[in-house]
Amino acid sequence: MPVVELSYMRLQKLVGKVTKKQISDSLPFLGLDIESENKDLIRIEYSPNRPDYSTDFGIALGLQGLLRIKTGSIKLNIKKSKKYAISVKSEVSKVRPFVTGIVAKNGKIDDKTIKQFMTLQEDLHFGIGRKRKKLSIGIHDLDKITFPLVYKTTNRNFKFIPLNSKKELSISEILKNTDVGKDYSSILENSSQVPLILDAKQNTVSFPPIINAALTSVTTKTKNLFVEVTGINKEDAEDMLSVVATILQSAGFTLESVQISGAKNSSPKLEQKKMSVSPFLINQTLGLNLNNSKIISSLKKSRLDASTKGKNIICTIPAYRFDIFGPMDLVEEVALGYGIQNLEPTLSPSQTLGQKHPSSISLQSLSSIMTGLGYMEALNSSLTSKRILYDNTKRDSSKILSVLDSKSLEHTILRDSLLPGLIDNLAKNIHESYPQKLFEIGTIFNKTSSVTEETHLCAVSSHKDANFSEIKSVLQSVIQSIFGKTCETKTSTHPTFEKGHVANITVNGKIIGIIGEISKPTKDNFKLRESIVSFEVKLPS
Amino acid sequence: MLSQVFHDIEKKIIHSLQPDQILTISEIEKKTGLQSDQVRRGIEWLKLKNFAHVKESTDIHYHFGEKGHEAIGNGLPERRLVNEIEKGNTTFDKLKPILGLDFNAAIAYAKKNNWISITKNEKSTELSLNKDHQESLEEKFLLSHKTLEKNKTNEIKVSEDSLFAIVSLKKRPDFIVDSSLIIKKISLTVEGKKINLGDLSHSSGAIDVESKVPEVFVARTHPLKDTIDEIREIFVTLGFSEINGNMTQSSFWNFDALFTPQDHPARELQDTFYLDGISAKKIATPEQIRKVSESHKKNWRYYWDINEARKMVLRTHTTCVTIKHLAENKLDEARIFSLGRVFRNEKVSYKHLVEFHQIEGVVVGKDANLRNLMGIQKEFYKRIGITKIKFWPTFFPYTEPSLQTMVYNERLGKWVELFGMGIFRPEVTKPLGITKPVLAWGGGIERIAMLKYGLDDVREFYNNNLSWLRSARKCQ
Repeated sequence: MPVVELSYMRLQKLVGKVTKKQISDSLPFLGLDIESENKDLIRIEYSPNRPDYSTDFGIALGLQGLLRIKTGSIKLNIKKSKKYAISVKSEVSKVRPFVTGIVAKNGKIDDKTIKQFMTLQEDLHFGIGRKRKKLSIGIHDLDKITFPLVYKTTNRNFKFIPLNSKKELSISEILKNTDVGKDYSSILENSSQVPLILDAKQNTVSFPPIINAALTSVTTKTKNLFVEVTGINKEDAEDMLSVVATILQSAGFTLESVQISGAKNSSPKLEQKKMSVSPFLINQTLGLNLNNSKIISSLKKSRLDASTKGKNIICTIPAYRFDIFGPMDLVEEVALGYGIQNLEPTLSPSQTLGQKHPSSISLQSLSSIMTGLGYMEALNSSLTSKRILYDNTKRDSSKILSVLDSKSLEHTILRDSLLPGLIDNLAKNIHESYPQKLFEIGTIFNKTSSVTEETHLCAVSSHKDANFSEIKSVLQSVIQSIFGKTCETKTSTHPTFEKGHVANITVNGKIIGIIGEISKPTKDNFKLRESIVSFEVKLPS
Repeated sequence: MLSQVFHDIEKKIIHSLQPDQILTISEIEKKTGLQSDQVRRGIEWLKLKNFAHVKESTDIHYHFGEKGHEAIGNGLPERRLVNEIEKGNTTFDKLKPILGLDFNAAIAYAKKNNWISITKNEKSTELSLNKDHQESLEEKFLLSHKTLEKNKTNEIKVSEDSLFAIVSLKKRPDFIVDSSLIIKKISLTVEGKKINLGDLSHSSGAIDVESKVPEVFVARTHPLKDTIDEIREIFVTLGFSEINGNMTQSSFWNFDALFTPQDHPARELQDTFYLDGISAKKIATPEQIRKVSESHKKNWRYYWDINEARKMVLRTHTTCVTIKHLAENKLDEARIFSLGRVFRNEKVSYKHLVEFHQIEGVVVGKDANLRNLMGIQKEFYKRIGITKIKFWPTFFPYTEPSLQTMVYNERLGKWVELFGMGIFRPEVTKPLGITKPVLAWGGGIERIAMLKYGLDDVREFYNNNLSWLRSARKCQ
């Protein structure tokens, strides 16, 4: 979950008449977890489906609703303007086909506001922007730009002064030498041409989705902003723009429209949408019996608008709430507005009879049989290392089954046997008193054309007098109890076991496992001294 | 209580002392035929068990020296002096040659006894007898030994007079040697007198049931498995039936069927374990694939790629097993649960494992609602012993509404997140033909087990450290 850092004082100013405690008590009921607090600063975890909560401006809107300071939806007031336009060249359709934008004027920007805008931008890039692949955003100083703009492509030799640089760099240099270029160059790797926004004076405004120009950078002196969003999908681009527009309006800016045309692009509408939901669905889903006016007031507390129409409730949803897919999302908005703390848990009587899975029952009794035979149950990870599974035990690694890019070196491959894990357990317990007897019942993985899973039982016994007869006695009584049959042990070889002291285990002539004394070289690899005997069998599925 | 079983030595000593004997060590030696160190050891054991008393009595051992024997025969030097004075030998000059070496002692003791007076004139020193020069205590004591053999150790019942005499004589060189004034007397206590040596329980076949023995350790099921079994039992008693499925799953069931878009960050390599070079051939029915992909395209607006859905992963939750079961069985009314290992590509730490156990339950039913879901949670937590809980809203891609349970951890003194829950989104259920509401919840079992066993490091469950396994309490 993403995290945003906020100041109580700023929140109090934005929300209105509210105490610090009211804020901290209400945040969890907006779905915001307080991760940590330090005097005035709080770190909050928010859901990735609510990018508006990546700033204090957005959180303040939510708190106002929940605390009934201001309820109902937030309408965007966008002044229609003809001053600002972007024309789109058809060549961008192969690279990054869509652009949209808005102008925000007469705002005050201090350091803290810039910081909030940066977290918003970061969240939008990571979340709905899918690490800028789907969408990216640029916020610029409007007064440094001469309209109209053009959204086009250019080649990799094109040069401009990017943000955080003092000199001109070529596109190739930016992609190769800057941090942000290195991080995101893969998005553009399939094309020799790259997208670019130029102003009427041929100054570069932005090189999406990588970096803005230094020229248009926003500082605390900036009063007026230009926001552009580019991406591979028009609706998504307008969704992202609507979040920024809503936040900027809440931050005190007045919005003006930007006209966009060319190559299937058009001006953004950022309109509210209407959705109908039945009170029956709401009450049935929540287990409540709310009347329509209570439902409407709850929706308003969730910063939506609603009214009754016939049997249904028509809800008005602002553009930035694109997390609302359908009526069930509105049910949740009612629940939040009503207050989760006001929902009383009820226990409906069970109309079903419970039962364990048959395999759970048989595995549980197998565990008790093994403990009855004096074996301690161990639990090892399915993911293990090549060293334990193959190198130390000298087992055949031709069917090694790896996972990609594990962050833990000890967990890179899936086990195809339980025995190596148990030997490793013995190796970690050499300072404990002997005899040591362990067993494990667990899933192992076989690489076929795909992958198959089996349940195995493995037992190890280690002490100075451990020998084949001892473990075979145990095996016999276990096999008798699992299969109701006797088993045979047939001379065999196995790289982990001592030559001449190892056998295949067969039941009804079918090999189901291996039994024997662990070889000296295996013990040496695990730095073990005491004798070890073991068996591992496949359990019937 | 110390052992009631007697060693043969103990038995012999008891026998010698019953019913009411008071004996010295040497007497016991004689009666039992044991060596003196055996007797001493046996007495110590019986004393510890409170069967024997050892009393230090003031009885005396003594043994006369050469001078002592001489005095028994001839009298003490002071008596011989008195006899000489009575004979008329009254001056130092006369007495010195008669008494010889005893002269000084004779003068000193006679004076001390106030038997004589000494007067000096110019010519000589004159002695005269006082009125009272009766037999002293020392003399009386010596005279009682007139018939004694030489070099014999004597023991007598002590009178105060003879005690005085012995103490006094001991001060004179070579009169009494090897005296020991203290002697141990052994007798049985009341309990000791009651011992019936004929009783079988004291027979030599019995063993010391109270002595220390070598340690053996219980073999037990794994503590985490115990918690898993306990949770399974609770679900069954709440009317839930168990289902299970593979740990390796296609991305289709792990993600796509649960409305997680293919470009969602959670599906990336750094969060999910993908199996190297393995993809599923048959992932679902053509209809399921078509409808799921349509739901993605419509709601998430992107190009849905079946090859992404084929990629095999280690399941990141057990929900894939649940949704597959629901899609295959189209249940109108059901309570089911699944329990098993899930995987996350994370760095291992005291609070994160790459592999852990998850429990997940679902309720299907036309009247299933959010308050029921909260009610089941509350009941479940109550049964594992957690009563302080509350619910907060949260977000999951495949449920709406979504809640999380917060439980109060008394040890940490704060609220911690436990299970997530919600109602499956229509975008999940509809494409798979599930028509009734599905309440679902789940969470990690290790977290609950950590609370139960008071562990701060989740890795302990998989260390298989024998000292912990051998000592962890079975019933928590």
